[in-house]
Amino acid sequence: MEHILELQQVSKTFPNSGFTLDQVSFSLPYGAIMGFVGENGAGKTTTIGCILNTVAKDHGTIKLFGKEMLDSDTDIREKIGVIYDGDNFPPYLTAEQLSQVMEGLYTQWDSTLFQQYLKDFHLPAKQKIKSYSRGMTMKLAISVALSHHPQLLILDEATGGLDPIMRDEILDMFLEFVQEEDHAILLSSHITSDLEKIADYITFIHNGKLILTASRNDLVYHYAVMRCRESQFLALDPDDILAYRKRDFQIDVLVPDGKKAQKKYKDVVIDHVSLDEIMLLLVKGERV
Amino acid sequence: MKGLLKNNFYAVRSNVKVFAAIMLLLGVFVVAMDNDVQTLINGYMLLGMIGFSINAMTSLRKESAGKWSKYKLTAPIKRSDIVKSYFISQLIWLFVGMLFAGVGLSLSILLHGYPFDRNTDILMLFIVGIGISLFMGAIFFPLFYLGGEDRNEVFLVISLLCGIGIIMGLATAVNIFFGPHMTTLQVLSGAAIIFACALLAFMLSYPLTVGIFKKKEF
Repeated sequence: MEHILELQQVSKTFPNSGFTLDQVSFSLPYGAIMGFVGENGAGKTTTIGCILNTVAKDHGTIKLFGKEMLDSDTDIREKIGVIYDGDNFPPYLTAEQLSQVMEGLYTQWDSTLFQQYLKDFHLPAKQKIKSYSRGMTMKLAISVALSHHPQLLILDEATGGLDPIMRDEILDMFLEFVQEEDHAILLSSHITSDLEKIADYITFIHNGKLILTASRNDLVYHYAVMRCRESQFLALDPDDILAYRKRDFQIDVLVPDGKKAQKKYKDVVIDHVSLDEIMLLLVKGERV
Repeated sequence: MKGLLKNNFYAVRSNVKVFAAIMLLLGVFVVAMDNDVQTLINGYMLLGMIGFSINAMTSLRKESAGKWSKYKLTAPIKRSDIVKSYFISQLIWLFVGMLFAGVGLSLSILLHGYPFDRNTDILMLFIVGIGISLFMGAIFFPLFYLGGEDRNEVFLVISLLCGIGIIMGLATAVNIFFGPHMTTLQVLSGAAIIFACALLAFMLSYPLTVGIFKKKEF
C-alpha cells in the first residue's frame, strides 16, 4: 500500500516545558482519512508541526509523497492544504484580498473555486476577516485550503468552532475530497464523533506517545469493553487486556476482539465501545 | 513572493494612509512657509523617509496576531522568501518616503528659491534619511525574529535610535577625516561612504535574519 504520509520514530523535546514527542510512527495511505486523537497537550499539534516543518524534529523521518520535505521543497507544499484551529489569516485582510495574496503564493490557486466557496458558505468577500465569527474563519480556512487543489489536507482541530450542521456539511466535503484516489486527509480532533463518521484510520496519542493506531472498522466492530466484577477481572488472561479502568463496582476492560472475548469469557457483559470510551480507557486507564 | 509583498502592502495600508495624509498636510504647510529656516524642510524630508520605513516595519507586528506566521510556513514559499519580502517592502516604502521628500523640497524651491548653502546639502539630507532607514531595518529585522513579536515596539525604538546614532557617528568620522572645510568632492565621498555603509549593513542583515528565522519554531 502506498502512503501519502509516513512518520517513523519522530521525536521532539521542548526543554522549557519538558514535553517530549516520543518516537511517533504512523502512515496515512492514499485515499484515506486518518483521525488523530488525543487530549489537549497530547502532542497532536507538535506532530503536525513536525510534519509541516514549522517545528524542527529532533529525530526520525517524515515522508510526504514519498520524500522528506525540506524548506526548499515548495512543490510538495503546493500539494498540501492546511487548516489550523483559530485565526489562520491576517485580520486586516478581506476574503477578496486574501484571494489575491494566495494567488501570489500558490501556482494552482483557483480564484473562481474560492469565490464559489465564499458563496456556498455565505462569507462576505469585502468584510475584514477580523470581523468574522469563529465559525466563519474556519469556513474561510477550509475554502482557502481547498482552493489550491491540494492532494493532502492537514487539519489541526479545525472542526471545533463549527455548529453541528455546518460540521456535518464540512465532513461530507472531506468525504468527497478523498473520493479522488490520490487524495488523503489527516484530521486532528478531540471531537471523536466526527472521526467515527468519516475516518478510515484512527491514531491515538497520549503524553507524546502513540498509544494505538487502527482502522475505524476494527475499532468499531472488533474492539469492545468488558464490564467485569473484580473476581472476573482477576480471571482474565492479561494478553487479552489492552487497558482497564476501575469504576465504582466494576472494572471496564478494553479488548481488541469483542467476539473472541465473548466466546472465551461467557459470563462477562461485553459492550460495543465508542471512540470516546476507547480514548478514556487508553488515556485514563491502566495497562497490564 | 508576489503574494507576500501584497500581504505586506495590505498590512501597512491603513497606517500608511493616515501617515500619508499627515505628510500631505505637513507638506502643504512646509511648502507654504518661507524656506529661510531650513530646519522645517529638513525635518519634513527626514520624517518622510524614516516615517514610511517605520510603517513598513510595523506590518510584522500586525501579522503576528493569530496563526498567519505559522500558516505562511505551510505555503509553497521558502523561509528566505518571507524575510526577503520584508526587506523589499522596506525599500519600497523608503522609496515612497523619498518621493514625498523630493516633491516637498522641489515645490519649496520652486516657490521660495534654493534654501541651502551648498548644492550638496540636498544630497546629504537624502543620504541621512536613507542611511537611518537602512540601518534601522538592518537592526530591526534580526532583532524581531530573535526576540519575538511581543517586543516589536521596543525593537523599533532601539533600531531607530541605533540608526540615528550610527549615522551621526559616521558623519562625525567623515568630518574628522576630511577636516572642517570639505571640498565638493570630499562631501560627495563622505556621502558615498555613509550610503555604502548603510547599504552594506542592510544587505548583511538579510542572511543574518534568514539564519535566525530558519531556526524559529511555530
